[in-house]
Amino acid sequence: MPTVSRTARGAIVEVRGLTKRFGSVTAVDDLSFTVEPGRVTGFLGPNGAGKTTTLRILLDLASATSGSCSIGGRRYRDIPEPAHQVGAVLEATNFHPSRRARAHLEMLAIESGIELSRIDPVLELVGLTADANRKVGGYSLGMRQRLQLAGALLGDPGVLILDEPSNGLDPQGIAWMRDLLRHLAAEGRTVLISSHLLAEMAQTVDDVVIVSRGRLRVQGPLSLLTSQSHSSMRVRTPERDRLAAIAHAAGYAHRPEGEDILFVDGATPETLGPLIASNRVVVYELVQVSQDLESLFLELTTSMTARRAPAAVAAP
Amino acid sequence: MTFSPRLVRAELFKFRTTPGAWVCIGVVLLLTGLGITTSFINGSNGVVHFSAPTTVVGLRRLMGAGYTAAIVMAPVLGVLSITTEYRHRVLTSTLLAHPRRADVLGAKVLASALWALFMGVASFVMIGAMGIPLLLTEGGSVSALLHQVGPVLPGMLAAYVLLAVYGMGIGTLVRNQIAGVIIALGLTLVLEPIIVAIFSSLAHMDVNFLPTRATEAIAGGVAARGPGGAGAATTAHVLLSWWLGAIALVIWGIGTAVIGYFTTFRRDVT
Repeated sequence: MPTVSRTARGAIVEVRGLTKRFGSVTAVDDLSFTVEPGRVTGFLGPNGAGKTTTLRILLDLASATSGSCSIGGRRYRDIPEPAHQVGAVLEATNFHPSRRARAHLEMLAIESGIELSRIDPVLELVGLTADANRKVGGYSLGMRQRLQLAGALLGDPGVLILDEPSNGLDPQGIAWMRDLLRHLAAEGRTVLISSHLLAEMAQTVDDVVIVSRGRLRVQGPLSLLTSQSHSSMRVRTPERDRLAAIAHAAGYAHRPEGEDILFVDGATPETLGPLIASNRVVVYELVQVSQDLESLFLELTTSMTARRAPAAVAAP
Repeated sequence: MTFSPRLVRAELFKFRTTPGAWVCIGVVLLLTGLGITTSFINGSNGVVHFSAPTTVVGLRRLMGAGYTAAIVMAPVLGVLSITTEYRHRVLTSTLLAHPRRADVLGAKVLASALWALFMGVASFVMIGAMGIPLLLTEGGSVSALLHQVGPVLPGMLAAYVLLAVYGMGIGTLVRNQIAGVIIALGLTLVLEPIIVAIFSSLAHMDVNFLPTRATEAIAGGVAARGPGGAGAATTAHVLLSWWLGAIALVIWGIGTAVIGYFTTFRRDVT
């Protein structure tokens, strides 16, 4: 991975009590979270959760009904030479189709006061050197995403804000972007990346901010979320009713399935095994079933109660 | 609002790298060519013939052959300068590079004015390249034509510039590109003549402050009604003085841009 940075330093991104209403619809509802430098933070939630609206307010493209956002302690509009501090990828449609890719970057460089000598390195970084003189109208969605990313990196910013950047990318493209974002965060930059797919982001992000219906559900390190994903034990036994009573007495929730299967939620082989042995229950099969990250994500985004991971504050 | 030269440079770069602004110049050259041709069509005693203009009126008509192009294409350029940003969502990139929107709008006003000036110069180049050879072929006097540069050229270039600012104001208010172009052309070519007919002829109201009448005053009355400079006796109606016409057009342009800024340009960009 080529070095992107020369002087980039990440900055803290803060969203405080942010609310945005469109008429009677509340798109963002009293949302607060913090994004730390040197880490990739996934801003996750289903479609319509308020992610794009939040990012647009953060970048001063939209106004907040109440609350505030800051990058490095300043509002976006108050940042001098913002393209040198913040790079953003919002959607792959921000191009004039008749303009060539190189000209698009040149336009951004002129607007932002960035040296034109930065264009070739960023084109090379995103793998568009060979297509730089083609009109953007002929680009695929994935190529547009790469061009957007090139534009965001043009000013060598310390903060990167990316809205669904993997849209349109093929699996190789997604892997490439994952490596790039990890590399950028390792250089000390702040990377905030939104997505509606937690599973896709699981290998990329260090921290997660999960929103649903405009409200915060969870904020904290991904590792903490993974540890919260509870497992259950699937037991095949001819004494299902007796095992159910034993599990109930031990404080486990349980549910039957089929003729002889019992799921014991929250149990592990280490906790359920001794219980079965001490009660001399006949068991044909004992399997641990872990809840996958995606179903946990679904559970979190449909839950109405916000949770804040305690370790979030102490996140490195 | 602060003036940012690099934003103006970027706006000019946008014109340079998209077809719309070049199409505007192409149409200006085409319409100027038509204007040149019609200035050679003269009539006397009911007989129409193709000949070199010899009168002051005829020579000014030739020197002002880019007038129709100015009336039609300068506002369209102004509309395109702002509505292209909305149509292709380039405004997002623009505002990320420079979040202070008043500065962006100011840069667009200046860049549109400069590109319109370029369009005006192109129309005079066309007059030089096509009109002068035609004049020589038809036995006309080039020196007599060049005497009309002073009375016609500054006003004509000013008309290009101010009409582009006026179009930009319309574009800021409307935001939709097709609607903006239709409105700009519709106002100039359809609505204003109707307003003039109703209010001037029927109600005897002063319509000289309307954009096309103000333009006519600036450009020295070289519209089809005939040239002659500000308040010239050869025009079919009395116009404003050139400077009052310029003020009127600036108010139309800047006024619509300011209203557009406060009503639409500051809205959320989605």
